[in-house]
Amino acid sequence: MKTEDLKNTQEYKYGFSTDVENIRAPKGLNEDTIKFISKIKKEPKWMLEWRLKAFNRLKILKEPDWQKPKYPKINYQDLYYYSAPKSVSEKPKSLDEIDPKILETYKKLGIPLDEQKKLNGIAVDAVFDSVSVATTFKDELTKKGIIFCSISEAIQKHPDLVKKYLGSVIPLSDHYFATLNSAVFTDGSFVYIPPNTKCPMELSTYFRINASETGQFERTLIIADKGSYVSYLEGCTAPMRDENQLHAANVELVALDDAEIKYSTVQNWYPGDENGVGGIYNFVTKRGACRGKNSKISWTQVETGSAITWKYPSCILQGDNSVGEFYSIAITNNHQKADTGTKMIHLGKNTKSKIISKGISAGKADNMYRGLVEIKNKASNSRNYTQCDSLLMGNKCGAHTIPYIKNNNSTSTIEHEATTTKINEEQLYYCNQRGLDQEEAVSLIVNGFCKDVLQQLPMEFAVEAQKLVAISLEGSVG
Amino acid sequence: MKNFYDFKVDNIKGLSAQEKEFRNKELDLFIKNGFPNKREEAWKFTDLNTILSKNFVNITNDYISLKEKKLELIKEFDHNYLFVLDGKLVSNDFKFEDKNKVLIKEYDYKKQISVSNQNSLNLLNNALATGGYCLEISKDYKFNKPLVVYNHFSESIKEQIISYKNSLILNENSELTILNYTNTNSKNNFFVNSFDYLKLKKDSNLKNIFTNKDRCNCYFHNYFKSDLEQNANFDNYILSTGLKFNKIDIEINLNEEHAKSSIFSALSLDSKEHQEIKSSINHNFKNCQSYQKIKNVLNDQSKGVYQGKIFVKQEAQKTDAYQLSKALLLNDNAEFDAKPELEIYADDVKCSHGSTSGSIDLNLIHYLRSRGIPEKEAYQILINGFLSEILEKLPEDNLKKFLIKKIGRQINGY
Repeated sequence: MKTEDLKNTQEYKYGFSTDVENIRAPKGLNEDTIKFISKIKKEPKWMLEWRLKAFNRLKILKEPDWQKPKYPKINYQDLYYYSAPKSVSEKPKSLDEIDPKILETYKKLGIPLDEQKKLNGIAVDAVFDSVSVATTFKDELTKKGIIFCSISEAIQKHPDLVKKYLGSVIPLSDHYFATLNSAVFTDGSFVYIPPNTKCPMELSTYFRINASETGQFERTLIIADKGSYVSYLEGCTAPMRDENQLHAANVELVALDDAEIKYSTVQNWYPGDENGVGGIYNFVTKRGACRGKNSKISWTQVETGSAITWKYPSCILQGDNSVGEFYSIAITNNHQKADTGTKMIHLGKNTKSKIISKGISAGKADNMYRGLVEIKNKASNSRNYTQCDSLLMGNKCGAHTIPYIKNNNSTSTIEHEATTTKINEEQLYYCNQRGLDQEEAVSLIVNGFCKDVLQQLPMEFAVEAQKLVAISLEGSVG
Repeated sequence: MKNFYDFKVDNIKGLSAQEKEFRNKELDLFIKNGFPNKREEAWKFTDLNTILSKNFVNITNDYISLKEKKLELIKEFDHNYLFVLDGKLVSNDFKFEDKNKVLIKEYDYKKQISVSNQNSLNLLNNALATGGYCLEISKDYKFNKPLVVYNHFSESIKEQIISYKNSLILNENSELTILNYTNTNSKNNFFVNSFDYLKLKKDSNLKNIFTNKDRCNCYFHNYFKSDLEQNANFDNYILSTGLKFNKIDIEINLNEEHAKSSIFSALSLDSKEHQEIKSSINHNFKNCQSYQKIKNVLNDQSKGVYQGKIFVKQEAQKTDAYQLSKALLLNDNAEFDAKPELEIYADDVKCSHGSTSGSIDLNLIHYLRSRGIPEKEAYQILINGFLSEILEKLPEDNLKKFLIKKIGRQINGY
């Protein structure tokens, strides 16, 4: 892997990114690295033991190879597993100064961050490489008993909660990348919503990969106690480099009785250039457990970035009457590859799930929906509805749909439908006729195609996502 | 663990040294992988290795057909027939046709057809196949009556594997309706692993129907590979139920313009039956069409699986592909698994798939019962209605009547 930045990196130079001096763990994946991470995080002994257990498990696991996007072998010994700005404590607490790249992206999107802040007062946790640099609105949340902090802080201050729930949805031995994350995760967000509390504002995390040759392994844990509600947003960016960087995160959600978690992601990691050089490998494990009765977990994702996206936000519907939802837009352009979808596992009675997936493929990209819907024997009166539509732009790209459907209960119903088409030429013609140029017309039609999903996003994200859709497809028509 | 099978190429008589070498090589490759299990994508929902190991002690391939069984013909409709006993062609009768236009002979193993090595059962077939037939229909010849292939299996077969290959060539502008009629009521367990190669030349038309006479305790895996030329039409109707285990694997290659294919299936399964349909439709050329509609009714502890794949090559523009699977689950121990897959590389296409599974609407049952229809009958009416959509599409009136009657017997119980 080379670290030489592309010429475009110039514009990020003033950024926070290049100016920061880093503390890094020595390269390589071994027990010493894990001990180093644990030590620098001042973690208790049980946490280190947990990490080492994962590491031992990792030694016997094999990297999965069944997925469609193939990638060159990653040399895990050639990565930095910990990288943090040297003076974290001195970092300003306000959002504006956190990352000019984010600011700039937003500027391009037409939403300055100030305005966004005014819109609703969003509490933000910003994760820069391996550490959380700032968390806003902490005081206000603490008043309500809501815990919103970095996971490192939670391990120290709320060990009981962490011990109880960490690894309860994604077990230590799940699969290669999840286990890798369990061994070396560096930071991430922790959210706990106490019983019968509606979180007064959207919680949000910004992930940023900055340093080169670094893998980002963050871990997010969200617990919604009985009767609570939280809406959580996640955004990500990375600088442009001609190396591939690994991002292997784990996200665990736990919803107890009558609780609801809404998790929205706008994933905009650097996708590589038009020749497919560089970009992030986004291998993420996201899983939610609807553990309590009448609980609900809703995933919404807009996937526009990353060289390879490989993630399946899932719901395990354990509690009776629990609901799982998955709304996704995946856009791939140039040489991007996305293999994404969801798993809905129905265990409880009267459980419901809904999957709406929209895939858009342009350039030489490959876009795949892969999902599992499984209704187990005891999940009577359960229901699933799945719709996955793909749009192809140009004849060098691919769109694929691989749903796995398993029904083992006679009172349950599964419905699945999928279509693959190109943009309707009549619609294009109609738009052109009314004075829209080709690109505007495509953007309009694509936004219409994605409407079902965009509607699910919190307002602050919806506008942004809509513009992101247009930007991602820039230059793909004509 | 001890293997539950023991296959030997030496059990096959009259092979040349070259053939032996080839067969042994294929057998070695098979043994390396063993019978397929869930780790293989094509067997995601079915662990054949486990199923066979539970139901067999030692499968061998040393069976020699002892005596010829008397053939009972289907009386309901006029037909030509091939009589195949334990995979070997015994006799044929084309009394309704011009005999000069039909070429029938035993399968020639000297001319091997290359088979994809992905499927370990095909490797096993390459190693062990004997018997089978080769049928060729002349140019411009259209069959007057359907052809029934009586696939008989002797009652004395037990713990055996029967492997054979067939080939069918339809020359330009020819037409044929073929009924694959499996006939065995054996209570013994045995495994049939066959491979059929179908070649449909320009403008030819083939209707391929699968059904069986009775329940039996045997395990089937049939692989059909077909190549379609310009304007050829290939329709499949899968109506086989009552078999302990049956997997029909259909590969259709639409190689030239305006080739058309379809797969229809109406299945009503009960007890511990396992029926699986796997299709891979490869759109290799522009302007081709494919259509699939699979309907399953599952009772008791039965399991229905549908794995359908539509592949559209980059140059296959203007493709029209459709795929629908529907299942009715009547019992909590029944299971339906589906994997309707699309892999598309061309943009100007119309591809869609749908899959549903669920129970019978109790409101409908209530409606019928309130009109004085007993519950059992009400279910039968609704199941009939569910499957009739497929049955309506069957060709040839007399044949259709015969098959509908047969399905009726399945729905109402043997």
